[in-house]
Amino acid sequence: MNAMNEKKINNNKKKCEFEFCKVCNLNHDKGHRHKYFPNHKKSLSAFLSRFQSKLADIRFFLKNPSVLRPEHASRNRFWCVFCDADIDEISSSFACANAINHLASEDHVKNLKHFLWKYGGEMNHMDAYRILEADVAKWEKNCKSLVNEAAPSNDRSNMLQVGPSNDIRNELKNKNINDFENCTFDPIKSNLSNGVMPLHYFTNEYQISHSGLSADTNVGPFVHDAIFSIPADAWISNDLAVDWNSQQPLPYKNLISSSDLSYRGVSQGYQGGGMVNGVTSSQGSHNITQTSATPPKKAGGNVHTGGPPPWFEATEENHLSAELKPISSSFISLSNKPGKKLNPKRVGAAWAERRKIELEMEKRGEIVKSDCDDNWLPNFGRVWQSGSRKESRKEFEKEKQKLPKVESHSEMPLKIKPYISKRMRRDASESE
Amino acid sequence: MSYVLTTLTKKKEIDSIIRDTIDKVLVLRFGRASDAGCLHLDDLLSKSAREVSKFATIALVDIDSEDVQVYIKYFDISLIPSTIFFFNAHHMKMDSGTADHTKWIGAFHTKQDFIDVVEAIFRGAMKGKMIVNCPLPQERIPKYQLLYKDL
Repeated sequence: MNAMNEKKINNNKKKCEFEFCKVCNLNHDKGHRHKYFPNHKKSLSAFLSRFQSKLADIRFFLKNPSVLRPEHASRNRFWCVFCDADIDEISSSFACANAINHLASEDHVKNLKHFLWKYGGEMNHMDAYRILEADVAKWEKNCKSLVNEAAPSNDRSNMLQVGPSNDIRNELKNKNINDFENCTFDPIKSNLSNGVMPLHYFTNEYQISHSGLSADTNVGPFVHDAIFSIPADAWISNDLAVDWNSQQPLPYKNLISSSDLSYRGVSQGYQGGGMVNGVTSSQGSHNITQTSATPPKKAGGNVHTGGPPPWFEATEENHLSAELKPISSSFISLSNKPGKKLNPKRVGAAWAERRKIELEMEKRGEIVKSDCDDNWLPNFGRVWQSGSRKESRKEFEKEKQKLPKVESHSEMPLKIKPYISKRMRRDASESE
Repeated sequence: MSYVLTTLTKKKEIDSIIRDTIDKVLVLRFGRASDAGCLHLDDLLSKSAREVSKFATIALVDIDSEDVQVYIKYFDISLIPSTIFFFNAHHMKMDSGTADHTKWIGAFHTKQDFIDVVEAIFRGAMKGKMIVNCPLPQERIPKYQLLYKDL
């Protein structure tokens, strides 16, 4: 029996290093025992069911392969919890293609097994978290047939269309860059374009108006973060235009610099137009669209005339009333603290209550009997006292009376200190 | 000096500020405006006055004025600067390992030290304690020799 007890004790004494359980999202030092705890089991089932729901989406696409449009690509990211890896769909042509391939891969299966061992999942349900190779093969066949079906219906091959031809990220293939050779950007002329808003239009608008603008400087997609810091003086002359023509697919930076120029041109010509939408510019140099040609309404004002922003007007009433409320309530709370009950046991609570009442009465104009005479002293516990504070005050009163008598007989040697009170000397003489 | 903090020179003023500070810690610094130690402390006090303003009021008392002498005797002020804490007109003691628990003698090392001390006083007072322990470590508490009457 003793041996058994010892063994138990020994087992409990074994200490483990702290580990992180990503299912429960906490650190623990129980080592392998952790996965059998009920809390962990609960978290694990929740965790796996969440992942299962994501897998269900992917399985849907496994059965019904569909073409993946590039603009949807960014939405189709998938985090595999077993491999701790992000799987995105940037370069895939079918929905969830990368995810499907990942889930069928050997590495994933290995990671899955490791996870189940570590966190104690059901080993026989392993197939729920992976895709069998047979399914993948079927899926690929379906994909190919899709491609072949779509091909004859278009002049261009389907793959090209599916490929991100309009994708702004895919700059090399983009028509923009090819057009740079043809650009005839003239900074001086662009300065004169009036009534044009500073913002370039957004990507989707560019695509809409794409067909109409061939020779223009295509700076729309690249001006998301227009650089404002370039001073207006530093006009770059036609030299830059020359440089542009000589360079082949331009790296991103140079594109920004070109956009700056056009931006600058626009901003100098800006006169308080409207927002960004719609009508293309009449100036041939660049792709700035203009909102309605009607003059800006003067009633509301705008940033340049110093008018209030539209959201402010809308919420003005709410804002003002909201402002008033907190201020008034804070004033009240400062003086009274209604609703916030202070500890009745706090130091000097009785005094505080009495005093508050007195103050209120004074505010109302009543004359309060003030017990604050000239000889009032606060409640003070003295340094060398023993006993209650009232006693110390009595002592003090006694000493105050004795003071004029004792002053003349100071027997205690005067230690040179910045400030020595007579009371100390008196105390010394008294205690002796 | 401190333009933020009120300087009191009369007993009446001290009385009224003690009586009127309700549910907030009252920090009374006794000292001289010309003394270096006091200036150091005053600087700290005025800089942290705003930070503690919700639960503390700070005031300075000039010990050179006539009217105040009675308080100097009553509070046993022998070394300056001396800081005394009140809450609801009751005096708060703090045990910082020194001989004198009734007041704080000397300046503080940093604003934060001062704020910690005031906070400790406030917390103790709200719980009903009239003496609290000092939250600062020993090396940050200015040491001094207190005049002992029997020596």
